[in-house]
Amino acid sequence: MTPLTETESKRRLGSTLPTPEEVLAASVAEAEAFCSAIGEPVVAKASGVAHKTEGNLVRLGVTAEAMAGVFEELAAAGDGSVLLARQVKADVELIVGGYRDETFGPVVTVGIGGVAAELFGDIVAILAPPEPGEVAEAVATLRGASLLAGVRGRPPLDIASLEVVVTAVSDLLLADPGVVEIDCNPVMVEDGQAVVVDALVVVV
Amino acid sequence: MLAVHPSAPAIDGVDAVPTLDRAVDLALISVPSVRAEVAVADAAGAGAGAAIVLSSGFGEAGPEGKAAQDRLSQVARDAGMRLVGPNCMGVVSHLGDGRWLNGSYFWAVPSVPGGLSFVSQSGAFGGMFFAHLRSSGRGLSRFLSVGNAADVGSTDALEWLGDDPQTTAIGMFIEGIGDGRRFVDVARRITPHKPVVVLKAGKERAGARAAASHTGSMAGSHTAVRAAFRRAGILEATDTDEFFGLIDSVDSNLAPVKRVAVVTISGGPSVLAADAAERAGFELPSLADSTLDRLRSLVPDFAAVGNPIDLTPQCPPANFVEAIEAVYRDPAIEGVIAINCGLDFVEFGQGVARGVAATGKPTTGFVLDAPRVAAAMTGAGVLLSASPERAVVALQMGARR
Repeated sequence: MTPLTETESKRRLGSTLPTPEEVLAASVAEAEAFCSAIGEPVVAKASGVAHKTEGNLVRLGVTAEAMAGVFEELAAAGDGSVLLARQVKADVELIVGGYRDETFGPVVTVGIGGVAAELFGDIVAILAPPEPGEVAEAVATLRGASLLAGVRGRPPLDIASLEVVVTAVSDLLLADPGVVEIDCNPVMVEDGQAVVVDALVVVV
Repeated sequence: MLAVHPSAPAIDGVDAVPTLDRAVDLALISVPSVRAEVAVADAAGAGAGAAIVLSSGFGEAGPEGKAAQDRLSQVARDAGMRLVGPNCMGVVSHLGDGRWLNGSYFWAVPSVPGGLSFVSQSGAFGGMFFAHLRSSGRGLSRFLSVGNAADVGSTDALEWLGDDPQTTAIGMFIEGIGDGRRFVDVARRITPHKPVVVLKAGKERAGARAAASHTGSMAGSHTAVRAAFRRAGILEATDTDEFFGLIDSVDSNLAPVKRVAVVTISGGPSVLAADAAERAGFELPSLADSTLDRLRSLVPDFAAVGNPIDLTPQCPPANFVEAIEAVYRDPAIEGVIAINCGLDFVEFGQGVARGVAATGKPTTGFVLDAPRVAAAMTGAGVLLSASPERAVVALQMGARR
């Protein structure tokens, strides 16, 4: 089984996938230009590496001033390029995934993400492809469903924006039998909109 | 009915012949596994529409057994005959007008006709199901133990029961679902008009999983099952108690309720029921002042008329009827859990029956060693459960639907 890079994974998931503004920068100059275009600070990630968080290869809050040093370090740890993205301000983190169940075939999962995601194991599945209303119905059965209704005065999750992510995962599973598993993790809920910050597609 | 046996002239009063020499509709086959293939061929030759192979020693016994099982299916398929089993506990079916088919290995089978049908992948759980019917007094429509499901599988049985006018509710005990998406497609056509309750035991085997992903580590073996059941509109029970509670609830057509009264003359068990009711999310409201005034005029002054409402065994039996009916008529009460342990005042049961008749409020009960009370309550259509807590679960399951 082969994990695809973040860039390739997002490409496979299609252009409808909601992602933050991002660029794969090949040079410090490109990276600095992105900073000035999108506003500081930004997120910088090593490219072409799995388990970026565990390898300390994701840097938050990178300013244009600090970019040269960060770029050099991450480029060396990865494939020479550095992935830059607007820093998303999440109210809640979700994990949207996809896999093939032996009995029921392709399924899409939605779970509460964050550092304690695996501790709580709060996850629901929807048979692919999802039918109208099923995403909302499934998400309502999460133990953490109330987090998505808007915490501390924040706007509630726009379920249609999550449906776009679920559909992208479902479409890829159904279109490509070589896809074993998909992780959109984290999917951040920012101002009520689901934004896929990182993605991993595993192929045979 | 005809028995086929190599040497006996008769079995339990049924004439026996050494070889099947006439046409039959149905063959029940209970022979050593090495003889089963010939028996299935004989049944097919006699024009049987179906053969039920109760014998064991097939797919469950290893590769040779599986090969023998495949030969059975082939013989049946070639003859256009359906095959139930092998390695199953058989079939029980109410044929109408009080006539029953017992094509099973069970000694004690139901004799009360009803609308409930049950499909089981476990013979032993079938025994638990029949024990539940006996203890609760509920009726049966059809029972099918699919065994190794060489031909007729759970999904086939479900599909048939969906179209069966005699069946009004379906229960299933499932360990494995072979044809996942077909099961969902069949079930979802049935559930809008006929409830399907499933107890799913055992873990589904995980498909290929990538250790690298969170999805792979977070998705449990049951995650997809829940998705499938949700799409199919299936009521899933998580354990045996909940299964029988749901079965009773769908069979009784209990409406969902929130505010309940626990009515009793048995203190301790009623407190257990009240505790379970609060855990289950029910409210136990106080009764209206007018109801309390009415009760105080009927019961001893030491009786507890809060909720639970303990009328006490010292209450004049004749007053039970009016007191219980007064509870039913209280506008704050939507449903009733009636508890009676060993105090066989028929008036208690009559009070519940009168209340149900007057208000139609959903009622479940636990009655122990009080046959006249139990008869009066079941006669009014009240669902009796095997413990105070199960009576609560049965009422709660109405709310899940």
